[in-house]
Amino acid sequence: MRMLEKLGKSLREAIRKLARSGRVDEAVVNEVVRDIQRALLQSDVNVKQVMELSKRIKERALKEEPLKGMTAREHVLRVIYQELVNLIGKPAQIELKPQKILMVGLQGSGKTTTTAKLARYFQKRGLRTAVICADNFRPGAYEQLKQLAETHGIPFYGEKNEKNAVKIVKNALENMKEYEVKIIDTAGRHALEEELIEELKNINKVVNPDHKFLVLDAAIGQLAKEQAEAFHKAVGITGIIVTKLDGTAKGGGALSAISVTGAPVAFVGTGERIDDLERFDPDSFISRLLGIGDLKGLIEKFKEIEMEKEIKPEEIIQGRLTLKDIYAQLEAMNRIGPLKQIIQMLPFGSLGFDISDEMMQVTEEKLRKYKYIMDSMTEEELENPKIINSSRIKRIARGSGTTPEDVKELLKYYRTMSKALKGLKGGRVNLRKAMKHFRI
Amino acid sequence: MFEALKSKISSLSKIKEVLTEGEISLDDSSLRDTLWEFQIELMECDVALPVAERISEVLRERLIGKKRKIGTSVEEIVREAFREIVDEIFIHSLDFDEFIEKTEKPILLVFIGVNGTGKTTTIAKIAKRLLDNDYTPILASGDTFRAGAEEQLREHAERLGIRVIAHRYGADPAAVIYDAVAHARARKADVVLADTSGRMHTNVNLMDQLRKICRVNTPDLVIFVDEAIAGNDAVERAMRFEREVGIDAHILTKVDADAKGGTALSVVYETKKPIAFFGTGQRYEDLKKFSKDWFLKQFLGE
Repeated sequence: MRMLEKLGKSLREAIRKLARSGRVDEAVVNEVVRDIQRALLQSDVNVKQVMELSKRIKERALKEEPLKGMTAREHVLRVIYQELVNLIGKPAQIELKPQKILMVGLQGSGKTTTTAKLARYFQKRGLRTAVICADNFRPGAYEQLKQLAETHGIPFYGEKNEKNAVKIVKNALENMKEYEVKIIDTAGRHALEEELIEELKNINKVVNPDHKFLVLDAAIGQLAKEQAEAFHKAVGITGIIVTKLDGTAKGGGALSAISVTGAPVAFVGTGERIDDLERFDPDSFISRLLGIGDLKGLIEKFKEIEMEKEIKPEEIIQGRLTLKDIYAQLEAMNRIGPLKQIIQMLPFGSLGFDISDEMMQVTEEKLRKYKYIMDSMTEEELENPKIINSSRIKRIARGSGTTPEDVKELLKYYRTMSKALKGLKGGRVNLRKAMKHFRI
Repeated sequence: MFEALKSKISSLSKIKEVLTEGEISLDDSSLRDTLWEFQIELMECDVALPVAERISEVLRERLIGKKRKIGTSVEEIVREAFREIVDEIFIHSLDFDEFIEKTEKPILLVFIGVNGTGKTTTIAKIAKRLLDNDYTPILASGDTFRAGAEEQLREHAERLGIRVIAHRYGADPAAVIYDAVAHARARKADVVLADTSGRMHTNVNLMDQLRKICRVNTPDLVIFVDEAIAGNDAVERAMRFEREVGIDAHILTKVDADAKGGTALSVVYETKKPIAFFGTGQRYEDLKKFSKDWFLKQFLGE
């Protein structure tokens, strides 16, 4: 995901700067804040918002007392982390239940494509879903949604020659009663087009939707704020969908939309195919963004979910890694961030062990496959992967619908992980010592 | 339009204050804050960060050079400094009507850009302009990918009473455009307006396809359509299209959505290619010819 990609890079550089400087003083904080500022500005985050954020980070970093036991550096990291969390907002609640969804946004932001993608999302999750074309303005809008819907077996409603969009929507609701999820595509419009905004209000009244999604182009500049404000005022936005994140646009406009609407980013669009729609999870997003070796934070996070997920961070650190740990981590992935993130958080740097690119590139998709593979393993195999021989590999591959190569890959991955963790063996990890040589 | 930027320009008067209050010497440190504020204000108007930084830097260099003239119409010096920069940026220009008049027919114009910037609508507007000037345009439906794209183009053509050359969905756009040019030659049409699918500049195969379109058909102008409401990415993608395909001119759309104007400055600054038109609404006549004077008027309120 490319959202605020540059920000992540700059943040990591800024944090590295912080680590290198012997003393965390005002000059260092200023420099770090300036780097973050530039990254945010280049990501099209609202300029005022950026300035306010940098001011707050500076103030808090310099004036607030670090928490007990925290170094100055950790304190600054914590402040940056917290402020970013505030900026990016809460996760969106998308329930799999009958609902009506209204899609709104500027011309060309990708409403129609996203309408089809969203319908597909609910359809795949077993809900009877239909799409409704209320865009009777743009030539070809009707055909576009109809073609997209029909290709994927999604029921479609539209009236090609009806001039009154409100009437179309009324008829649509009458005709599509049997469907559990109804998604209404509307014509693109902007805040200054009063008549069209009025029309949108009327559609909103007729539909009384459960969700009103603002579709926002990732490339949008400073206008994002006032446009989001106008749409929010007209219909009350409940969620934001950022589109076209497969290009180089950073989607910073979404942050102003979050701040003026109070609505979360629910989905992001990452391509032209109907399945190129991803849920947006602020937590894992931020961990990926920061990509820092915050071991303490990691252990805290582990502790929060320890009860339900059976993860024993101390054991992992001591080098007693089993496939079960990897499995538990995959289960918890949505809450902590991907495994590579965890690896980044561990202080391998101090042990002269470099994390290979190959390891870093293990994608979430691949990890999901690993999960299927582990589901086909016996308890014994999970506890003691060494016993997995070629005939076991064949059986596991068959059972999980994967190939023996996939299984071998998982085992190789496991071995790389264990090897990395062996560096930390020898009883209790001396955190202080490890942190001292901490290269992040 | 551009109200925001116009009002920001007034912050230049802060520089004036700095300059007229004789006691403050115009060294780097005294200018830094004021120019930083000015740079922030440029960015608030969607001037891309690197461009805003460069403008601020140039202003600094030029203002420091002028410091001996303290007290004598400093405001004019400052305005001049910024106007000069704008002037230098917009040195690249294109008179579209003249180009059409002087170029051998049939002329091929290919419209390219990322998804949803308004290529198809812009083509319809250009077609209307050509019709008004007594030329015969035809449309080539080179977007054989997006659902509804052909219908969209056809609908415009019907409204305008002009022809569309189209193949089926999934056809090779280079071939569609080739056929359209052949058709124009046979039927003595003057201008072929070729639509293409919106594409992300990061998609290697689709950029290859654009190169093929240009190789096979050697267009007279490749026009990059982007939206005036795009922020920093406008520069990024314009440069990619310029490097990988080559563009001759920009058209910036959706100016009526209260675009801040800075995007125009940024893309021309970086690509050194002129802006032919602005799109200012959903009607066919909502296409304004770009001129430097017109822009300066919007920008500086002169």
